[in-house]
Amino acid sequence: MELSKDLFRKLEDNEKNSEFIAVQSRTYLQDAWIRFRRNKLALAGLVFITIMILGAIFVPILSRYTYEGQDIANRHALPSAAHWFGTDKFGRDIFVRIFYGARISLSIGFLAAFINLCIGIVYGGISGFVGGRVDLFMMRVVDILYSVPEMLYVILIMVVLGSNMTSILIGICISSWVGMARLVRTQVLSLKQQEFSLAAQVMGASNTRILFKHLIVNSIGPIIVSVTMMVPSAIFTEAFLSMVGIGISIPMSSWGTMANEARELYQNYPIEIIWPIACICLTMLSLNFIGDGLGDSLDPNKK
Amino acid sequence: MSENKLLAVNQLQVYFDITPSMFAKKAIVKAVDGVSFEIGKGETFGLVGESGCGKTTLGKAIVRIYNPTSGNIIFDGVDIANKKNKDLKSYRKQVQMVFQDPYASLNPRMTVGEIIKEPMEIHNLYTPAERNQKVQELLEIVGLKPDHIRRYPNEFSGGQRQRIGIARTLALDPDFVVCDEPVSALDVSIQAQIINLLEKIQRDTGVSYLFIAHDISMVKHISHRIGVMYLGKLVECGESEDLYRNPLHPYTKALLSSVPIPDPDIAKSKKRIILEGELPSPINLPSGCRFRTRCPYATERCGESEPPLTQVGTRDVSCFLYEK
Ligand SMILES: Nc1ncnc2c1ncn2[C@@H]1O[C@H](COP(=O)(O)OP(=O)(O)OP(=O)(O)O)[C@@H](O)[C@H]1O
Ligand SMILES: [Mg+2]
Repeated sequence: MELSKDLFRKLEDNEKNSEFIAVQSRTYLQDAWIRFRRNKLALAGLVFITIMILGAIFVPILSRYTYEGQDIANRHALPSAAHWFGTDKFGRDIFVRIFYGARISLSIGFLAAFINLCIGIVYGGISGFVGGRVDLFMMRVVDILYSVPEMLYVILIMVVLGSNMTSILIGICISSWVGMARLVRTQVLSLKQQEFSLAAQVMGASNTRILFKHLIVNSIGPIIVSVTMMVPSAIFTEAFLSMVGIGISIPMSSWGTMANEARELYQNYPIEIIWPIACICLTMLSLNFIGDGLGDSLDPNKK
Repeated sequence: MSENKLLAVNQLQVYFDITPSMFAKKAIVKAVDGVSFEIGKGETFGLVGESGCGKTTLGKAIVRIYNPTSGNIIFDGVDIANKKNKDLKSYRKQVQMVFQDPYASLNPRMTVGEIIKEPMEIHNLYTPAERNQKVQELLEIVGLKPDHIRRYPNEFSGGQRQRIGIARTLALDPDFVVCDEPVSALDVSIQAQIINLLEKIQRDTGVSYLFIAHDISMVKHISHRIGVMYLGKLVECGESEDLYRNPLHPYTKALLSSVPIPDPDIAKSKKRIILEGELPSPINLPSGCRFRTRCPYATERCGESEPPLTQVGTRDVSCFLYEK
């Protein structure tokens, strides 16, 4: 085919939009949220946890029962309009106690995760960023801490400091921040060689600035996922301790203490032990689903 | 040239200790092993050489990402080779680097505006309003649109990203920029645009470049002088046009032989040297001249001692062929 020259013409400047970007600009988190919403299990988990959190805040305030108010005439009642989840062996309303327990269990879970996050980021960040001998030393300390079973720390600390929330928290956190520190260190080690972090160094950025604005910010995906997974593990540790009778002490109650109290009579009144255990299971399951969903949606390679 | 000298690198060495454990045999990579050259104000010095010969290492040592093992880096009369990082604040303001990989050199979590603004924040330059103003000016200089400021790097093509990277280096009005293969990751049609941009910036601001590439024909256009590097050493250094037309060192000849020559008459008259064998490992360097294992002119003498960099006309060559 013959192409004549007059079929072609030079483009005017305003017609040259070869570098035009058609996709609407979204931030990383907006993108992640769109991907997260597609995951139905994770979304269900998020709804469940939101309900539990709201319930934990408002049910004990709004209900006409208190978590410790006894009604001796009305012991071991089955679920009814007056007591939605029934009553326990002292005639206390289980519905209120479940949400009061949620306060304790969820606070321990989230607080422990938050403490782990803070310690882990600072410790792992410094270890990975400084590198060399400092890194070697800091990681050996971590290995030693990690080699002792978590339960041992918790039980020892409960023995020394007594059975209360603070000592449970300290016990849980004393070794579980190690996982976060290792994760952050690995991320920082690989990111600090990337050219954008070298560029920051060349332009004279301080170490703190490079660490937080460039390295940690780019590890936020794995960090969030790992934090989400730490919440259920802390909740479980607390529930386990309370269930074997060395956790939160009466009259305060977590799901673990409730299960422990109901355990003695579970053959006669099985429903009383089902409530707290169902709560523990569903909460852990939901948080795990959320963690999985976040893992997929925060990974920039999955689009 | 010495009266308007900006940077002088003197016998610079950068060694990496890669000994795997405390008990293993010592393994040292001599990535840069005694390099000296000078760069004048407003000048572009091209640095070429095969992959792995230490170009990036040299560039990174000059901007002090790596600490030199020995030697001097004299910038504006001050030796910065051994200064502590905290004493480099003013050097870091005057010297910048454009990186090879435009996909890795921009923080993916920062918007273009934040990226370009960051150097000004670090050095506390200007008020916030002036910074925004400056960002707009820089975007215009490098050929991006004002509304790109709120976008993230992943929305841009390689060439556009490299422009963002260049805008970032310009934010501090540097006197000297190390460009480490700034176009090698880009499409050929985009390469020329970026090179033109760098040249235009040089005309407007008088900045000096150390321009690293492995393709000598590319460097020829932008550079005033060229240094040819082989295994951590400069083997030849001279005026760019002169060196391109009349290479002296066998290695430079070999590099130029691999460049296709458009004119068949010239092509015929040129004897081609084909490089044989692999680049020797920078851990176990050959004795004497490093190039002798692959050099067609190698004699016994080349294995005995290392040829010094000597002046031949306007050129510096390190080869016994040109000894007086
Ligand atoms: N941080 C480091 N630690 C150990 N060895 C290194 C390090 N950086 C570079 N090297 C080694 O130093 C030598 C020179 O590497 P360099 O990256 O400077 O080469 P180059 O000339 O830039 O190559 P290219 O053209 O592929 O970019 C190589 O053998 C490399 O393996
Ligand atoms: Mg390189």
